[in-house]
Amino acid sequence: MFETVRYEGKRRLRGAAILTAGVGAYAGFIVWYFTVLEGVNYEDVFRDLPPAMLEAFGIESLSTIEGFLGAQVFNFVWLLGLGLYFAYVGGGTVASDIETGRMDIFLSLPITRSRLLVEKFAALLVPMIAVNALGGPIIYLFVVAVGETIPLDNLFLAHLLSIPFLLVCAGIGLAFSVAVDRAAIAERGAVGTVFVLYLLESVVGGAEAYDWIQYLSPTQYYEPTPILIEGSFEAIDSAILLVAFVGLLILSQALFERRDV
Amino acid sequence: MSGDSARPLVVEELTKDYGSVVANDAVSFTVNEGEVFGFLGPNGAGKSTTIRMLLGLLKPTSGTAKVLGADIQDEAALTDAKRRIGYLPAHLGFEEELTGETVLDYHGEMKGDTRRDEMLELFTPPIDRPIREYSTGNKRMLGLVQAFMHDPDLVIMDEPTAGLDPLKQEAFNEFIRDERDRGTTAFFSSHVLSEVRRVCDRVGILRAGALVELENVDALLHRSGKHVRVHASDDAVTAITALDGVVGPERFAEGVQFIYAGDVNALLRELAAHDIRDVELGEPPIEDVFTHYYGSRAGADEGDGGEQKGDEPDGTGEDDV
Repeated sequence: MFETVRYEGKRRLRGAAILTAGVGAYAGFIVWYFTVLEGVNYEDVFRDLPPAMLEAFGIESLSTIEGFLGAQVFNFVWLLGLGLYFAYVGGGTVASDIETGRMDIFLSLPITRSRLLVEKFAALLVPMIAVNALGGPIIYLFVVAVGETIPLDNLFLAHLLSIPFLLVCAGIGLAFSVAVDRAAIAERGAVGTVFVLYLLESVVGGAEAYDWIQYLSPTQYYEPTPILIEGSFEAIDSAILLVAFVGLLILSQALFERRDV
Repeated sequence: MSGDSARPLVVEELTKDYGSVVANDAVSFTVNEGEVFGFLGPNGAGKSTTIRMLLGLLKPTSGTAKVLGADIQDEAALTDAKRRIGYLPAHLGFEEELTGETVLDYHGEMKGDTRRDEMLELFTPPIDRPIREYSTGNKRMLGLVQAFMHDPDLVIMDEPTAGLDPLKQEAFNEFIRDERDRGTTAFFSSHVLSEVRRVCDRVGILRAGALVELENVDALLHRSGKHVRVHASDDAVTAITALDGVVGPERFAEGVQFIYAGDVNALLRELAAHDIRDVELGEPPIEDVFTHYYGSRAGADEGDGGEQKGDEPDGTGEDDV
């Protein structure tokens, strides 16, 4: 049981460590930068920005550490950066194995295709969990180190609720990965899709006639800044993300069952 | 049918049509238990396509096959059968950043590793080093270790000796013969005539996606001849090509090359009688063997006489070619 998860997970350890270190370092820089900017009047700084852009970057209350982290770390790194990252690695899971001939060896083992797919995907949980389980405490320690405070439960929720969102992004990658033959195409297709969905949600959100389009984007269902500031979130949003993820997984399995490798 | 279901490999009218090309065209054959079966054909003939259909990697367009009794279209049955199958793909895609040991550990967990140590004495990849440092031969040896480490009943190998040095090739041939004596069934593809000649009990030949002939090794060995290339004067060339058994002579500026299927001593005597500047004797390229002996696929179907003379009583004759 789960031999393939362990095997593939081991191969993800290095990437997970680098990812977590990078995100941690960036968060450290942002927390330090917050102390530098203390006393700056943000109303003045952002007065000239159009409301749509403020909305897009989730700039709400930059004068508190929660608001600053929400905008600079969570909206940029978790929503956009990690969203694209997991779409990218999801896109590489199956397609790169097929391209390099590794899939021949995997499928010569006594394991069904659907199980292999699930176990390979499950190995992506290694970086996904590492970046949250270690990134959260790292951010907290930085905040404490500069003499600020942040509600622990809100920080915990912001990380926890990012998991369904990241699963959907990785799931989009997985669907691309089983649908096309080349890893580079799958990776670009998945990254492009997640990025376009992110843009759509940001841009269309302001136009009422087409505001339904924003509901297509997974970014619509994970808003870290309100979680960090007020601890407010909608459980239905996470439920929608989880249902979408399961749908993508089932779709990927169906495609993988039928295809030649 | 009960006889067929007991056979490790039964292939019936297996076809893979990619639209632009028919990679396998109604390929049928059976492999008996405890037999070494060579699947011979030039590069691009469709050998890997057949093998990859047998493992469920490709879906056949039509036709079917049973591997250790499991229908290749029945994923659950085939997955179960894979516990008793060893597979060595032609292209060895191992995880480059992992050590051979980690890969073997995983394979051991998935299918068993009762013979791992024994295999590692015979084939010696540097398992404590990352695979990205491996030579082609080392990768092949790691592939052989994983293919046999769980003591499978049936081993399917795609070009198993490609990249192995001659000594390891010899070790492989000997190993396959020993495995056969232990009752293991081996099915492997090759484009090297001498290889299948040395180790195979029976041979199937695939050409342009279709099986052209099934016959025993002796008949093939007798028929395939030597590739001869002689540098000599025109007179000498004329005399040499007049020998019985010279097939398809092709002259070039300094001499002639041909396939020789006659008595080797007669050839050597004739060569000794002339002033020869240079001579090469070797394995004929397999495509030449086909061209000279079968001409076209249609011709091959009629030229099946060798099968009647074959001394393998088990099943060869009933295979639909």
